[in-house]
Amino acid sequence: MTTTTAATRPAALRTEGLSKTFPGTRALSDLTIEIGAGEVHALAGSNGSGKSTFIKLLAGYHQPDPGYSAWFGGQPLDLDAPGADRPPGLRFIHQDLGLVLELDAVDNFGLKCGYATRRGSIDWREQARRTQRALSRFGIGIDIHQPLSQAAPVERTVLAIAAAIEGWDEAGGLLVLDEPTAALPHAEVEVLFQIIGEVVAAGASILYVSHRLDEIFTIADTVSVLRAGRLVETRPVEGLTGDGIAALMAGADVDTDVRPQPFVRRPDSVPAIEAVDLRGRYLRGVDLTVHPGEIVGVAGLLGSGREELPYVLAGARADSATGRIRAGGEPWRTIERGGFQHALVPADRLAEGIIGELPVQDNVALPALRTLGRHGLMVGDAESRMAVDVIERVGLVPADPSRLMSTLSGGNQQKVVVGRWLTEERPVLILSEPTAGVDIAARMALFRLLIEAAEEGLGMVVASSDVHDLIHLCTRVIVLREGVVTRELEQDEVTESTLLRVMEGLES
Amino acid sequence: MNSSRPAVDASESGARSSSNVLVAPRRRSVGDLLGPKRIGAVYVWVVIAVVLVLLKPDTILTTSTLTQILNNSAITGLAALALLIPLAARTFDLSIGFVMSLAGVTAAHFAATGMNIVPAVLLALGAALAVGLINATVVVVMRVDSFIGTLATGSIVAAFITMVTKEQDITDVKLTGAFSKIGQTDLGGVTLPVIYALIVALVLWAFLERTTTGRRIYSVGFNPEAAKLAGIRADRLRFASLVCSAGIAGVAGIALASTIGAGSPTSGQSYLLPAFAAAFLGATQLRPGRFNAMGTVIAVLVLTTGTTGLALVLAPAWAADLFTGVVLIAALTITGAERRGLRGAKGSLAALRARFRPTTTNPE
Repeated sequence: MTTTTAATRPAALRTEGLSKTFPGTRALSDLTIEIGAGEVHALAGSNGSGKSTFIKLLAGYHQPDPGYSAWFGGQPLDLDAPGADRPPGLRFIHQDLGLVLELDAVDNFGLKCGYATRRGSIDWREQARRTQRALSRFGIGIDIHQPLSQAAPVERTVLAIAAAIEGWDEAGGLLVLDEPTAALPHAEVEVLFQIIGEVVAAGASILYVSHRLDEIFTIADTVSVLRAGRLVETRPVEGLTGDGIAALMAGADVDTDVRPQPFVRRPDSVPAIEAVDLRGRYLRGVDLTVHPGEIVGVAGLLGSGREELPYVLAGARADSATGRIRAGGEPWRTIERGGFQHALVPADRLAEGIIGELPVQDNVALPALRTLGRHGLMVGDAESRMAVDVIERVGLVPADPSRLMSTLSGGNQQKVVVGRWLTEERPVLILSEPTAGVDIAARMALFRLLIEAAEEGLGMVVASSDVHDLIHLCTRVIVLREGVVTRELEQDEVTESTLLRVMEGLES
Repeated sequence: MNSSRPAVDASESGARSSSNVLVAPRRRSVGDLLGPKRIGAVYVWVVIAVVLVLLKPDTILTTSTLTQILNNSAITGLAALALLIPLAARTFDLSIGFVMSLAGVTAAHFAATGMNIVPAVLLALGAALAVGLINATVVVVMRVDSFIGTLATGSIVAAFITMVTKEQDITDVKLTGAFSKIGQTDLGGVTLPVIYALIVALVLWAFLERTTTGRRIYSVGFNPEAAKLAGIRADRLRFASLVCSAGIAGVAGIALASTIGAGSPTSGQSYLLPAFAAAFLGATQLRPGRFNAMGTVIAVLVLTTGTTGLALVLAPAWAADLFTGVVLIAALTITGAERRGLRGAKGSLAALRARFRPTTTNPE
């Protein structure tokens, strides 16, 4: 543990033995951490390291496992209590900011901090004045009467901060910022940092969660690195390097057993999928060619186009993207015209991947209904045979095709979502965040399954925010930054520190 | 495509299965099928029946009472079945009451002019299907929420009916002829609409349970986004579902007009709420959580037995509506609690809390 920077004041926050277990996974194990008074404390760690679980425990969104202790400003802190009962000095800015974009700044401010009233009705003039006052200290000129949807991203972030810290005693306060720069253009990050500086100058502490290592060096005094739910180390930022933090995040215990054979393109092979000039909400012209048997990774920070690319490739963004695509030597198709669909394992499994109310068997059969029916009728046991085959192939436990999908663990659900695309010969399989919420054993099984499918000639695109997916799966990785391919890494160049450095823009 | 990857063929998977223990698909036991979780409404039905028999032993236990219950169920049953396909695809059709009136008025109008009943019925069905196409266009093509979109089209249909009929029932001596046969033909006490309802129920059951399209419709209803990403054309299915509902509502409306022997401009509307009640109660039966045809049939019979029985024991007129409302809330609460229990009561509590405290939600 670091000693607090201001020894005379108690630590802003301290937890001991804080754990959180979800069914099937231990998201946070025995976390003992201390945020000193007046310091900017960064929290680093890759996806699934427990960062957001920790924040959610602090905010009261999840309840911790019993047996922990926590203090806020020296006073015991009850993390089992609902979030509304947190001490007034503990404030949060969540990644989505919690704003209503259809409403203007005055209303959003009022919703967070309460409205000024006069004789029982809202005193709009006073309310506008309060909003203006809260914003003015940050030196940002924002039209407080226009809907926030028209405001710049940084203006929204500033409003969220202003509302979050309105009327608190900064001297003892702790402001938790969860990836506040995720949606911010680079130029606006500077503005945010100035504001954070002001808040700290007034005596508050900051807990700063970020994927971007360069930011940690810019504003943090101390950094704690989490890995697989455990605290690896807390140390002063001074003297650390980006590679140092990346190494701490990656750890030495990465299982390197699973890696695909180096990809050798067969001279006569037709590309599994070719895409030219993909453009969309984030993409600014991306070309991509994937050959049969090749597993191409897509890396990039939030907002780089990494989340969008898989959906565009699969043909699921006909309304917001443009470009041309062809698969397996078929004619070219334009994305905006739509009407085609490639196998996609979507990022949000619950919302986009599974149908929880239906059994495993039905979920497997979903894309194959056309071939399963005879004149549109489901006859015989073709469907259950297909389900049994897939269950066998992906190693579902228990191997029961009649179980409701919603009762499976995340890893098993993902095996079904992947497995259902392996029932027919397809040129390409596109995956987004294939291991999100998948425990480590299932993750390795998935990797083996996917590599096996590639060896049989399937072309694959794997977009992931988890560098381990890219390291374990891919024969080549493209790195996106601001909507374009900034770098292409061959398999032997794909290491965690290189990936992080290229994504951060520390190295191009 | 010149991929060298072999498809998963039977011999390969057969070899695999020998090396791995496979759990056989769970067979549903008789207890599962007949337990209160699947057919709770039947138990409610038995209770109602026993109470009624104890109250009025002489009038209840007669064939005429039983056939009366069946006959009273037929039109509500058809209306409820009309809702099934859209509801299974998570789409509301609030226009069916008005479509029933429209079809009834149209059929009666043409029958009253002396037209042969076959073309008259076809014209009425055509009118109903036309409304279905409009509904589908508004909801699927113009992307208006189905709940409000079909309410709006229903209002337009109501206006059209009033405009044409001037709020007068269409009555004519010709309607007592062949036209009345459609709904009033008696087969040993049971009228033809009961047969129509049963046929429609059987067809819908087979369609939703046994066809690939039925499977797709349920997928769209449960998770439209996942269904779309798995290659299912959700919009097309929702479009067709609204045309189907209008068609079945048209059948119900024609049967109703024939039964009452007149084209009444407002007769259909009163069936909307009972139809929704039956469809939702039906979704708690046999296949809990799914809108299904046979569950709906059970639900209609339970609701009609209750309301008919209440009339027979001379309960006040408002008792029937009260009964429908109470049964519906009770059934939905019980099954709702069950389904939430599946996901863990904690999860739903957390979701509720998250809804009211948006600042603390942060899905990564």
